[in-house]
Order: sequence, then C-alpha cells, then structure tokens
Amino acid sequence: MNWETIRVLLIHELRMLVRDRRTVILAVGIPLLMMPIILYAMKSINERRERTLVETVYKYAVTGTEAEKLRSILARAKESQARAGKEKGEHERLERFKFEEVNVQDPAASLRNKDIHFYLEALSGPQADALPKKKKEQDEAASQADSIRKEILPVSTRLPGVPLILVYYQGDQDASQAGESKMRDLLLRERRNGRDAILIDHGFPVDPLKVISINDKSLASAGQVTGSWVGRFLTAFLVMFLLTGGSVVALDIVAGEKERGSLETLLTTAARHGEIVAAKQLTIVLVAILITVIHIANILAYVTFRIIKMPEDFVIEAPPGTVVTLLLLFIPVAAFVSSILLMLSAYAKTYKEAQLYFFPVYLLCLTPSFAAVLPGVSLRSAIVIVPLANVSVAVREILVGKFDWPMIGLTFVAMATAAFWTVRASARMLSQERLITSSEADVADFAGGPALFPKRVLRWYALLGVILISVALNVPQLATLRRQVLFNELVLFLAGPLLMIWRYRLNLKEALAFRTVKPAVWLAALLIIPSGNLVGIGVFRLADLVIPVPRQMLEQFGQELTPPGMPMWQIILLLAVLPGICEEIAFRGTLLYGLRRKFRPAGLAVVVGLIFGLFHVALFRIIPTGFMGVVLTAIALFTGSIFPGMVVHAGNNAFAFWAGRQGYPLAGLNWPLYLAALAIFGLSFYILYRNRTPYPDLRN
Amino acid sequence: MNEPVVVRNLAKTFYDEARGEVRAVQGIDFECRVGEIFGLLGANGAGKTTTLRMLSTILTPTSGSAEILGHDVVADPASVRKSLGFYSASTALYPRLTARETIEFFARINQYPREKVRERVDYLIGRFGIAQYANARVDKLSTGMKQKVSIARTVAHDPPLLIFDEPTVGLDVLNALEMQDVIKEFRAHGKTIVFSTHIMSEAEKLCDRIAIIHDGKILACNTLENLRQVTGVHYLEDIFVHYVRGQG
Repeated sequence: MNWETIRVLLIHELRMLVRDRRTVILAVGIPLLMMPIILYAMKSINERRERTLVETVYKYAVTGTEAEKLRSILARAKESQARAGKEKGEHERLERFKFEEVNVQDPAASLRNKDIHFYLEALSGPQADALPKKKKEQDEAASQADSIRKEILPVSTRLPGVPLILVYYQGDQDASQAGESKMRDLLLRERRNGRDAILIDHGFPVDPLKVISINDKSLASAGQVTGSWVGRFLTAFLVMFLLTGGSVVALDIVAGEKERGSLETLLTTAARHGEIVAAKQLTIVLVAILITVIHIANILAYVTFRIIKMPEDFVIEAPPGTVVTLLLLFIPVAAFVSSILLMLSAYAKTYKEAQLYFFPVYLLCLTPSFAAVLPGVSLRSAIVIVPLANVSVAVREILVGKFDWPMIGLTFVAMATAAFWTVRASARMLSQERLITSSEADVADFAGGPALFPKRVLRWYALLGVILISVALNVPQLATLRRQVLFNELVLFLAGPLLMIWRYRLNLKEALAFRTVKPAVWLAALLIIPSGNLVGIGVFRLADLVIPVPRQMLEQFGQELTPPGMPMWQIILLLAVLPGICEEIAFRGTLLYGLRRKFRPAGLAVVVGLIFGLFHVALFRIIPTGFMGVVLTAIALFTGSIFPGMVVHAGNNAFAFWAGRQGYPLAGLNWPLYLAALAIFGLSFYILYRNRTPYPDLRN
Repeated sequence: MNEPVVVRNLAKTFYDEARGEVRAVQGIDFECRVGEIFGLLGANGAGKTTTLRMLSTILTPTSGSAEILGHDVVADPASVRKSLGFYSASTALYPRLTARETIEFFARINQYPREKVRERVDYLIGRFGIAQYANARVDKLSTGMKQKVSIARTVAHDPPLLIFDEPTVGLDVLNALEMQDVIKEFRAHGKTIVFSTHIMSEAEKLCDRIAIIHDGKILACNTLENLRQVTGVHYLEDIFVHYVRGQG
C-alpha cells in the first residue's frame, strides 16, 4: 500500500464531491434548511390540532330505550366537571371536554354527514344480552351499526343483564375519534363514581378511593432508562445515517465513473487496485461520518433550543469508557457499511442502476440493526455472531451500564470479521473485468454444464434453505415430525441434489463421491460415532458457558424431536438412517463437490459444516450441528468418499437417540470423560490421515 | 537489450450471453522497439483495443504473455502501469477538475517525484498551449481543449512507453493532425509508442512498423516498405485488403 497514493486519491474524491454543488446542496444544504421548517410546521400543526380539539364543542345524539337514564348520567358528569374545575393530567383532559346533545332523526346518517361527532345508544340489560343472538340471525344482511356492535360489544366483560352504552363514531375523522375517546373516559369515570356512591350508601366504611394507594418506582437510574431507550435505536439510526450519508458519494464513486469513462483512465494509472479501493472506501466512510455528524449536531441544536422537546428525565450517561467502547464497535460497522455501498456501486453499470439497488440494500442492512428493539434479546445468545444485530444489542447493553466484556469482545471480532470480508470482497469486485467490459459472462456461463455448477451451487442451496423454512412455516399438512422429516430428506436433500446433477450434467459418481475406501477407514468411522458425539456435546457445553441456551428451549426441542410414543425403529429410520443417506448426499455430495475449488480444504470443511449447521435452522444448534458438519466434511476430504460419512452420520444420530431413550446423561458427564472421547476422536482421525485417499481436484 | 514491448502468443476470450464465445485476440506475437511508433492497423472489432487493454493491464490475458519494459502484465501490473501512459478516445477526464488539477493529479497518482510535479505541470501546460484555460474546469472546455488536456495527463509522469488507442476517433481534421504531430514529437523525444488505428493514411504517415490485425490475429507485421515489397502493391489500403482477403 502506498499511503501517498491513497491520500492523493482521497483528496481527489473529496474535491470532486465538494465541487458537485447539486449533490452537496441536496445531501447537506436542503436537509439543514428543511429541518427547522419541518419541525416548525409539525409543532404548529400539533399545537393547532390540540387547540382545535380542546376548543371543539362535541356534538352528539342519544338513542336507545335507556336514553333518558343516559342523559341523567351525562348531566351528573357535567356537574362533576363544574365541581372539579381545572385539574392536571387525565382529569384536566376530561374537565375541558365540552359536549352538547343535538336532536337528530337518524343518528347514523347524521354521523356520516358530519352533523354530529358521535352518538350514544343506551340499551337495557335484556336488549344487550340479545345483541349477539340478533347479530347471528341477521348475519347475512348485517347493518353498518351491527357490524360496529360486533367489534365493540364487550361480551366477555359484561355480565348478563347489565345495561350497555354503545358509542358510535367515525374512526377516520380526528374530531369524531377524539370526542369518542373523551366521552368513553367520561362515562367510565361516572360509572366508577356511581359504583363508589352505591358502596358508601350500603355502609362501606371508608371512601373506596382510599382503600389502597398504588405507586410505582423504577430502580433504574434516569441515565439507565434513557440508555435503554437510546440504545434500542442508536445503531439503527447510525446505520441509517451511514447508508444515506455514504450513498451521497458511494453511488457515483464507481458506477458514475464507469458511466463517464473515467474509471478506465484511473485503472491505467500506477495506483494499485487495493489503493483505489482503500481511497474510495475512506471517502465513503468520511463523507458518511461527516453527514451523520452534521445531522446529529443539527438535531442536538434543536433539542438545545427546545424546538424538539425531550422528556425531563432524559439523561444520557456516557463516561469516556463508554464512548470509547461504542466508537470501537462502530468502526467496523462503518467499514462494513461503506464496503457494502462500494460493492453496490461496483456491481451497477450505471449511476441509475446503483440507485435501484440502493433501497433493497438499505432495508437489508437496516433490519438487523433494529435487533435491540426485540424484547428479551441478550448479547449472550447466538445473536452475538450476526453482524449489525450484535452491535445493536451490545450498544443497548452498554448504554444501560451492562458491560459483558467477553461478549462485547466477541461482538467486535464478529463485526470486524464481517467488515474485513466485505472490504476484501469490494476490492475483488474492483479488480473484475466486468467493470469496463460489456461481457458479463465467463467461460462457465458460456459452457454451462459441470463448469457452471460451482458458480451456481450456493444459489441452489439458498433456494433449498428458503423452501425448507417456507414449507415448515406455511404448509400445515407437513406440520407433523414424520411428514416434515420425510419431506426434507426425500424432497430437499435427495431429490434436490439429483436435480442439480441432472441439470448440470454432472457425473453421478464424482459429484456424490461414490468411492470405495480402505478397510481401516471403517474402523476409524466406528470409533468416531460415539467419540465424535461426546466431543460434540463437550463443544456444545463449552459454548454454553459463553452463550447459554435456555433450558426450556432445549427441553422443548428434545420433546418435539422425539415424541414419546414413537417406536425406536421409526426413530432410527427417520432420524438416523434417512439423514445419514440424504443429508450426506446433499452436503458431502453435491455441495462439497460444487465448492471444492472455491476454498482450500480447511476453509471448505468450515464452510460446508456451517451451511450444514444453518440448515438445522435453530440458531442454538449451529455450534453442535456445525461441528458435526465440519467433522463429516473432514472425513469426506480425507477419504475422498461419501460412504464413511454416511455411516458416521447415521451412527451418530442413532447413538444420540438411543442414549436419550436409555436415559444416559451424555450432556452431564464429567469433563475427563469428554477428554477421553477427544483422545479417541483424535486417534480416529489419525487413522484416517494415515489411510487417506484425498478428495480429488481440491484447491491447494 | 530487451525490447520495451514483447508480446508472445497473447490471447483473450470473452464469454458473452448474447454473442457466445468471442475470441477477441487469438495468440498474437509482436515486439516494439525503443523509440519507434508501432501501429496496430485493423477494422473495428479486429482486436486492437483488447490487445492494448491487455498491455495496459486492464484486461487479463486468457493465455500467452506480454512484457512491458521487462515487467509481466499479469505478475507485476503496477510496475507496468507506472511505465506507460494510456490514451484512448473512450477514456474520459474528471469533469469537475481544472486542466491544471487534472495533469497534477495524474502526475502524482503515477508516482512522478513530488518535488518535480509543479515544474512538470507548468511545462506541459506551456507545451500544449493550455495556459489560458489551465484553471477552467474540464467540463467547460471544448473537445479540442479536452483532447490536449487528455494528452497532457497521459504523459504527466513522463513514461517511456505510450499507448494510443484510436486517438483521433471523433476529432476534426485539424485536431487529428495536431494529434499526429504530437505523437511524432513524442517519438522524437525517444518514447516508444504503440498506436492503434483503422485509418490507413494515419498509419502510413506515423508508423515505423505496422501490424495488420484481423479477427484477433496478426496477418502481417513489417515496415511499410517491406509490406509493399512483399505484396507488390503501393498503398496501405491495398496492402490491408490484400492480407484480409487473402486470409479469408
């Protein structure tokens, strides 16, 4: 890296941006100018609305057989209002409520014509009891009023024989809605007052309101409460600002250059692609941060001048340590977002095309950033490995004063890894010839068949994953365990790979690694079954120390997976033999074959293992299933054959279910036993290594 | 001494969903000598631009090799790019930079010694007669002015090898003639020049040696005199037709 070149390129990009007056005005100037106008307009509209609603004399009509009783209740309510005068809070709202009865022929028509704001229908107890019945009888020709009754009739809370007051209003009109709300509250208060009066008349010794007083007190400090509120949205807002701010320069930075023809000029200079990428990324980050800071400062200015009113107990507690930790977490977020934007710009052929891609990318990045809004989500869960979502949750915990350092560290590592990967990917994209040539296809696209399969294999597995989840969630016919397993194994994991083999004209034996192995391999495979299972459980227990899985979730999962009544032979067939064959065909067969040239062997084992883990859907199972996936892939790589993996997979599942049925506490063994299993496991792999016949055509 | 440009069995194949397999360049060989103008003469789509793009490392060869001043285009692309200036009618300038800033930017980005950049920029501004509009933004300049700025930015770092890909396309006669004069002047200053064109008169006037390229293959490569002797015809247009039809 030549930093002088990066500096020159960075200054050049910034200069180009600053001189693009229209962009600067649109991205910075107009929002700065518009913000006070919008805020002022919103404030004025709100105040006017409030004033109008307060000053309005709400007109209403009364109907029904018990209308007179209702009128007397309302008259009492007016007297109470006069007595109470002006009080604060809810009472103030009710005391300032002005209402006036209007005589109309057809209250429903008058409401529709806006002659009145709402109307009340007072029914006697027997009439109210008859309403649901009446509704059923007239179901086919239900009047508008009946359909409203159906929605608001509190059947479950009203005792038989109790009179009923129905308040009809137009939900699409502000004044009607406000009037209904106030009238409803007023009637509820009058009901309470009436009830209290009856109690006192019948000799209740004290004022019912003085029986018990309930107060609440939050033990969290104002700073923690504010932190919890701010923390929920901070990451999402930051990502939003980074995306929108970064897009000001990012969309043009490659796509625009391509369109103008200046990219080819730049690519023929002595600047290396890495330097060009670094400068462009720095530009995006700087501009994104600058625009974010401008907008935040803008908002803070309005908060300071009380144009935006914050709650009185709004206190941000951010000591230097907290600020530094947050900044450290936000650095990889900024790198990640800028790389995503750069990739988008490099992928698009024109500026306009880049704009089209921006919105879906925006949504994709923003969605995980709202993870902190989800109730009950803690950093000590699988969310710690999900980029953006992990930072979102970590920020909320930090702002409420919860510093879970190991998990904050893990969050940083996961986010930084994601950022590193996207930076590399964006650098690779800028090295591609399609940046300057119109030919999009390569030899694989053109040749099709086996050459194209490695390019398409991940798309196929993404499709299988989508089908797996969609079917499980939306097809009730497959809701039972047996049917779901049969569908997944036979349709997705067996028919899916066979379809790929047919579509890409693959050699069946090669694609599925149908190869014989040395006899010693079988000994190793048999040893791996119990030892691998125990090592897997040990790994899960270790992971559980860091990311605990709720016990309830584990128990529920265990029950769902092995219904108590299911015979053992069915369990073995459905949950051991079938996965052993079908899942191996899917993962150690076509998936491994398709990816064999994309990754080096160690990376290949991890990637195939991880995808295998992801297909087991539940996030908490990723570690044990992913581990097993890596083991099975490693076996295939050492032996060059799918068969030992099939035996180990089926054997491992059968062993787990058998031990579970027998009540052997495999998950509660002493650590030395796991270590012993690890030793046997290591010995098994040593045997495999000594007798290896490596998977052919791997990337070195 | 090694030649500044050595091309051996160079090939490039594109795969296009609409056109299928396109073998744009099919195993060509040639060398350029120090201080000469080497012309690639061919019709549109003959493979000239693809060849020059491979030499300037924008495209990676499908097979074969090419060396620029001893640097392999695949193994050491940064050194290759540092040694050459690439000019093409399709390459554009940055519209929001001034002429001076453009030349300065390309001098610095191509690692011309920092302390000499100002002097070099002033020299080029004087040499190409762009002093009057040196501080005007490129998007305000006429086509002829832009062309001069473009040439100046190509040689901003004073590279020993210059690649001109159809430099006169889209220019009027006077500007085209001026471009030819500039290229001759570069040769006079000892630069090696690879020049592609489909205009016969240009190749006749400028090139010390000419390679006739057609369908991605070089059909002949020699001086104009030798080509005349071999084919027995005088005009380059006839020589070109002789080879292209003979190949067909």
